[in-house]
Amino acid sequence: MKQGGATVSDSDPSGVSEAENTIIATDITVQYDSVVALDHFSINIPKGIVGLLGPNGAGKSTFIKTVLGLVLPQYGKIMIDGLDPRTDVMSIRDRVGYMPEHDCLIDSMSGVEMVAFFGRLSGMRKQDTIPRSHEVLDFVGLGEERYRPISTYSTGMKQRAKLAQAIVHDPEILFLDEPTNGMDPLGREEMLNLIGKIGASNKSILVSSHILQDMEQICQHVIIINKGKAIIQGTMAALLDQGEGRKRLKIRGTPDSILKFMEHLRHKHEVISTSEEYGEMTIVIINREGSGGILKLARDDGVQVRAYLPDRITLEDAFIRSVKEVI
Amino acid sequence: MGLDLIGYKPWSGKRTEHNRRFLVIADSIVKQKLSSKWLIGLLILGTFLVHIIPIILNSMRPHDVLESSVMVDYMQSGLFYIFDIILVSLVCSDLIADDIRSNSIVLYLSRALRPERYLIGKWLGAMSIICLFTLVPPLVLSIAITATQSGPDYVASAAVIGQTFLAGLWTALFLVPIGLMMSSLTNKKTYAGVGTFMFFFVLSIVASILSQMSNDWTLLSPENVLNDTYQVLFGLTLTGGVNLVLLGIMVFVLTVPPIALVYYRIMRKGVGK
Repeated sequence: MKQGGATVSDSDPSGVSEAENTIIATDITVQYDSVVALDHFSINIPKGIVGLLGPNGAGKSTFIKTVLGLVLPQYGKIMIDGLDPRTDVMSIRDRVGYMPEHDCLIDSMSGVEMVAFFGRLSGMRKQDTIPRSHEVLDFVGLGEERYRPISTYSTGMKQRAKLAQAIVHDPEILFLDEPTNGMDPLGREEMLNLIGKIGASNKSILVSSHILQDMEQICQHVIIINKGKAIIQGTMAALLDQGEGRKRLKIRGTPDSILKFMEHLRHKHEVISTSEEYGEMTIVIINREGSGGILKLARDDGVQVRAYLPDRITLEDAFIRSVKEVI
Repeated sequence: MGLDLIGYKPWSGKRTEHNRRFLVIADSIVKQKLSSKWLIGLLILGTFLVHIIPIILNSMRPHDVLESSVMVDYMQSGLFYIFDIILVSLVCSDLIADDIRSNSIVLYLSRALRPERYLIGKWLGAMSIICLFTLVPPLVLSIAITATQSGPDYVASAAVIGQTFLAGLWTALFLVPIGLMMSSLTNKKTYAGVGTFMFFFVLSIVASILSQMSNDWTLLSPENVLNDTYQVLFGLTLTGGVNLVLLGIMVFVLTVPPIALVYYRIMRKGVGK
């Protein structure tokens, strides 16, 4: 298994100590008739916000159902907060909150009624549910709308109501499936802020989304699943980092000055690639020292340095690359 | 609406027992149904047409004791059965169909609630409402007749009251599985409601046609099955050469497989297997 391009040991694939992991799956296999949904699947999920990525049919939903104890693995072992779903499924579900991707709300109820109802189903006493429901609805930003039937809600409001019902019982582990689905840019930003706030309270939040920009923005860890296997897991920084000292340099100048600069640059640093677009040169180099030498060289050769940044790929690049490698 | 300034607050209350959470579903159904004007209207109309007149007439008529035959005649009336099936069709139609349509069944089953307890919660909610019509008024009638009896044998009357309780409860027990089955087979409550009513109605028609060939075919009708079980529950002799084994089989067929089918559908829709 890889971690940000580097192989990590199977015993500690998340890169954090075992005690910090809330979900530990070891070699689990889930099979529906002839279809293998999870194939010797091993992951460790730490606290914090973890992105769960994978193409459709990769096994994300099966994994969530396995954690909820709705599906039991034929082989392997899975522990959730130290509990085994084979024996402690009800205790596990009390610790888990789930926000499904699709519509799943009870249209005939108002927002506050529905959140209170699911709070009671999660074991909250009647007298506790009403104040707690208002508290979480305040948190997700549903104002007076909470008294209206859910059938009248916009998509954004429904997403907020779905989040509210998932957190009403204060779960330790939260599954958010496409939390920003159908939301406008402002609503999306607000939803990501909410997830960030929940994540700050020492919980494990598993977010599954196809909007990889969102994932890049909020997730500290990433797990990429394909064909029932966890193909990559590790920290977001490690996944996106292309390697130590890799820098992306953007310059402008006259052709002669650029040629001169390139020649000097090649003497001192390893140049990985060069490209030119609209008169701006982009050069990827290896530089393990500070930027001072490069800037001095540019000044001496008469070129303008427009940008000097660590060379990082986007999550989308990493995702496509890792999925293609498996195919 | 807007970005809230309130941070996430944890909750640290005490949780209720897992085994009792199905009661939340039943409680919610009862509240929701009793806030429906249509259902209240139907209950009032049915109570007036089916129950009030027998209560007044039987209480006023001179009698020594509450007799089983009086209660059987009252519960075997066609109007009682018709209102029963209309009520079952209306009450059960949305119970599972709406959860399948809205996909909220996934939310139920992601909670600490086993599929069988979800089903028990739905069943109990439906039973509570149906019993308001099939159990409470017959009990009121039997108590009213006992209260106005001229004879001293209150023990015999109390026994019939007990039988009435069983018969009222049995009516709901017998009818609700079909209502839930129809609700689980579709995601449209209208189809489920009409399907439930037509199921009972069509079987009665078919039974009456096939009974020309053999009397045993009368047991294809849920109404006849229910009426025959009243005879058994009140300790009366079965008339018309009813085959007891066949009656038992029909009781089984109309109750157990429908509930098993509901369970299967819940597993299919909620758990995905």
